[in-house]
Amino acid sequence: MSGLVTAIRREFRLIRRHPALIGLTVVLPLALCVLLAFVFRSGVATNLPVAVVDLDRSSLSRQVVRMLDATPDVEVSARADSLPEARSLILSGRARGALLLPAGFERDALRGARPEAVIFYDNQHMSAGSVVARGARNAVTAASGGLSVSLREAQGAGSLQATAAAQPMLLQTHALFNPALDYVDFLLAALMPAVIQLMAAAATTYAVSLDFGPGRHARVLPRLAGGLLPAMLGKLLPYTFLFMLILGIYDIGLYGWLGVPLRGSLLLMGVGAALFIIACQLIGALCFLLTRDFARAISFVGVILAPALGYMGIGFPREAMPPLAQAWSALIPGTWYIQLRIDQSLRATPMDLSVWPVLYLLAIAVALGLIVLLRLDRMRSALAPATARTARRTA
Amino acid sequence: MKAILRALRAELAAIFGDPQILSVMVVSLAIYALIYPYPYRPELLREVPVAVVDLDNSAGSRQLARDIEASEAVAVVARPPTMAEAERLVHERRAYGILLVPQGFERELLRGRQSPIAIYADASYFLMYQKALTGIAGPARTTGVQVQVARQLATGTSRTEALSGASPIALVEVPLFNPAGGYATYILPAAFVLILQQTMMMGLGLVATRRAPSADPLPWRMLGRAGAWLGLYALLLPMYLVVLPWAYGLPWLGHLPALATLGVPFVLAVGFLAQAVAAVLRRAEIVQMVLLSLGMPLFFLSGFSWPIESLPPLLRAAAQAIPSTAMIEGYVRSAQMGAGLAELAPLIRQLWLLAFAYAGITLLLRLGASGSRLSTARPQVRSREAGDAL
Repeated sequence: MSGLVTAIRREFRLIRRHPALIGLTVVLPLALCVLLAFVFRSGVATNLPVAVVDLDRSSLSRQVVRMLDATPDVEVSARADSLPEARSLILSGRARGALLLPAGFERDALRGARPEAVIFYDNQHMSAGSVVARGARNAVTAASGGLSVSLREAQGAGSLQATAAAQPMLLQTHALFNPALDYVDFLLAALMPAVIQLMAAAATTYAVSLDFGPGRHARVLPRLAGGLLPAMLGKLLPYTFLFMLILGIYDIGLYGWLGVPLRGSLLLMGVGAALFIIACQLIGALCFLLTRDFARAISFVGVILAPALGYMGIGFPREAMPPLAQAWSALIPGTWYIQLRIDQSLRATPMDLSVWPVLYLLAIAVALGLIVLLRLDRMRSALAPATARTARRTA
Repeated sequence: MKAILRALRAELAAIFGDPQILSVMVVSLAIYALIYPYPYRPELLREVPVAVVDLDNSAGSRQLARDIEASEAVAVVARPPTMAEAERLVHERRAYGILLVPQGFERELLRGRQSPIAIYADASYFLMYQKALTGIAGPARTTGVQVQVARQLATGTSRTEALSGASPIALVEVPLFNPAGGYATYILPAAFVLILQQTMMMGLGLVATRRAPSADPLPWRMLGRAGAWLGLYALLLPMYLVVLPWAYGLPWLGHLPALATLGVPFVLAVGFLAQAVAAVLRRAEIVQMVLLSLGMPLFFLSGFSWPIESLPPLLRAAAQAIPSTAMIEGYVRSAQMGAGLAELAPLIRQLWLLAFAYAGITLLLRLGASGSRLSTARPQVRSREAGDAL
């Protein structure tokens, strides 16, 4: 136990002496937290630019355009005289979509010939495109519904009756767990853990390289700590503490400042966070111990954890991935930690389901820990005869 | 001229002679090409599991459930008797949407009153939410229009009249460039550009921190190095931005000359940015770790997955200083959307501006620190004080 304390003390001294370590474990993560928070602070995309090609120029077409401009999703940024002109606006990025109102629009609508309003939207930029499509849908549906009701009223139907006839089946849509469809709740809650996952692993790779790198005395730390396990823990725990602190600050910002709902167990979140960070650190440590070369190790960390965001199922869900990708994603600590976060913050998942991600994290951390210990043990025994030999030679 | 050639050769030798740098710039590029796109291989989300809670249990509600079953977007996996059980399924992640048909659904409909049904979709996963919602709402709307048309036909109105009465304006939605909404088509082109930038910065940053001092004038050396980068990336960039998309079956509408006009200033901008970063951070390990950590944030800053219009103005301006921001836009607009040089011109100008700006900054940084720092080549963990051991 005292060995562990000594090792932890020594590690904190090491951190104080290496400005690079402070930069990587404290300054950079905090800066990135702030950066990402500002990127997604607006939460929902609003006022995306849309071009209008109004070939009718009637009071009805102008009303549709006004309604389009009034939806929070989009704003009418340009008026084009032709479709090619609108297309060029979309290609150059000055508009995310274009609404075409053909000539004879109003006449046909009043005659009951059902004219078509066409929304072209940039679906290559899918997130912007779907917002534009939604805005146009809302605007046109509202204009159409209004027209339908007034046409029926003109035919002498009562206003309630007219509404019921225009829409016999009322669709109520509810967004479960995230009623405002807020990007902050959804993406930001998942994004920073993915960044921290990478940084915790990278920082540990660096810290381990300071003790076990080429030319370092790999046996100093284990001897000082009085065993491999306390040596490993003494090396890891100071960074676990620092990254927990960062996550804590981040969560205060997220759940406090940005007002993301937190509906679950804080204890579970805390335990999960600690296991998550330790698992990431062990990945970083293992990458170094296997290569014993910092540049290679950090490349490995990158290869494993940089694409991890895609595997964690935030954007493209895990259920839709190929089986091998699903299996790989199950090995990534972030997959389970983010599931835990979503469960505890947005979904208020029942307890009996909530513990599973924590158990997965525990399993990953224990498995990685055992591999690291084994590797350390083999390194030590490989070193021991060599050191004995040099000792004999010098004697 | 000789000095330029000497620098060019030295840069290429530094890249190909150092296994670490080669592994960063070429080997990990290849590995990323395999690992990164893999989860998105299915492109589309199909058959999202949903639950139907039918409290009406009438012919009408069963028809509605069958219509939803027939849709490709969703699959009805359970018909729990209560809403609570359906919610439990969502918590277990076995269903991502619920259709609730209340009691009296058919009766209200037959009486000509407005009959509500409710759709619950899991909004903690956006793609699932969209699919579950459209997969249930689409068939439900169709059924609704059918009911109304049928009613009006019964009262003797003609079919077109009936349809136009229901919604006097038709909206046609035309998704451009990625009509099916494929996720790989959406995310991979941007990701390829970013991977290219990050590995290039990392590799060239390492070269810059390990460079042996040279007596040649700095501007000549910088020109020679730029030549080396352009030579190497004349191979790597088309591999990544033309061959790779083709191998993954992504749509490609671009033209090679357009790609070249974007690619040349992009490679120069990234190369000189790497020099500037190396001059500031100095040590190889730090350069690698900082660049690794920045990858994901830069992706979101590039305004690709999150519309750049929604960034705060200051951040939006800062994002323009990163070569990938303009290159992702330029490449995607050219290769995926078929934009011509006229539409790309502002982005090409921006990339050239960045190339010159970072070259200038590198010059200033190196000149400012020249003399005293010529000997900092290849700092190693080894050379640090031995006191660390205790």
